Amino acid sequence: MASSKASRLGEEYVWRTRMDKVNAELVVLTYGAMVAQLCKDFDSDYVKVNQQLDKMGYNIGLRLIEDYLAKSNTFKRCSNFRETAEMIAKVGFKIFLNITPTITNWTSDGKQFSLVFDENPFADFVELPDDGRAQDELWYSNILCGVLRGALEMVQMQVEAKFVSDVLRGNDTTEMRISLIRYIDDELPPEDD
Amino acid sequence: MATAIPSIACLGVIGRNNNPLHTSIFPSYDPSNNSFRPVRTPLQFSLILSSTLDVFELRSRQNAAAGVGLTGDFGLLHAVDDRLAAYGFETNTGTRFVVIIDMRGRRIDGALAAGLDGRDRRLAGAAAGLREGEMRPVFKAMQGAYIRLLQNPFFDPDEHSPPTGQGGAKITNKKFADDMRRIGEAWTPGITNL
Repeated sequence: MASSKASRLGEEYVWRTRMDKVNAELVVLTYGAMVAQLCKDFDSDYVKVNQQLDKMGYNIGLRLIEDYLAKSNTFKRCSNFRETAEMIAKVGFKIFLNITPTITNWTSDGKQFSLVFDENPFADFVELPDDGRAQDELWYSNILCGVLRGALEMVQMQVEAKFVSDVLRGNDTTEMRISLIRYIDDELPPEDD
Repeated sequence: MATAIPSIACLGVIGRNNNPLHTSIFPSYDPSNNSFRPVRTPLQFSLILSSTLDVFELRSRQNAAAGVGLTGDFGLLHAVDDRLAAYGFETNTGTRFVVIIDMRGRRIDGALAAGLDGRDRRLAGAAAGLREGEMRPVFKAMQGAYIRLLQNPFFDPDEHSPPTGQGGAKITNKKFADDMRRIGEAWTPGITNL
């Protein structure tokens, strides 16, 4: 598809020219220190830690969406949720983290999909604490769920995002499940697929 | 005829409080019953590692006075006997890596060695002694593994080398132990990359 190739080059271009870069290790260590500190502050109550990460991400997402819209040259709304998924994976993640997660596992009603992360820049070097619970309870990169939830809410989509597997826990893949709950305003056309 | 070549007998990591952080022991070839077993007991290895501490301190003081030794590679610390030799490396944070080499830890076929060239002949001829810088890839690999360990946000360096200057817990990380095992088993004289 010529159009999709052209847009792919566009994202590469945006990533190269328009985005400010920071050292990857700065990000990894900052995020890691934050999660580790949350775990300490909440006495290893990982359910709470997940919630906090999600909240922080939500607050990031609310702000990040403006930056996304400006940098990505997006002028029109996505016509359906599938298109939204494409834009999240191929534009959003590309320009902010320089990764492109794979979109899979659509439900037939087109309201739920999975993002599979082949690489996760947040999780470099990370090993979850060996206390027998973190492996089952902590979603290390949960901030990303909050970011998506916050960002999509600002463009009239209420979604639920959560991780369902993580290589840090010993799973084969890192997979995030995103479900559309509803369009907040009724000004959008109903789903056409 | 078989020729003996050096192998790693023990890898030790020592914290800045002179506390043991990690010890891996590797079996050497025993020609008497054609098997592999460590040449010393864990306690004896621990004592050899402890005995390097004075050498480290002496060398670093000398190096500081002379303004040399910036690489951290301290080379041969001391030859324990005709078989074992200890090599050392110190980082600027005071973490020390010690490699104890068994000069007769492995056997290779002497006839085979005679027909080889380059790296392999060096390998066979290395029994007489190790060349300068032979340990560099080992230290580099150990330091790499240690850095990866420190990058893990859930690893708490203060727990292992408290700033109070007293003691510290051992490293229990499995991946780090696996890395040490891999380095110790993979190294042969002349290897440039681990």
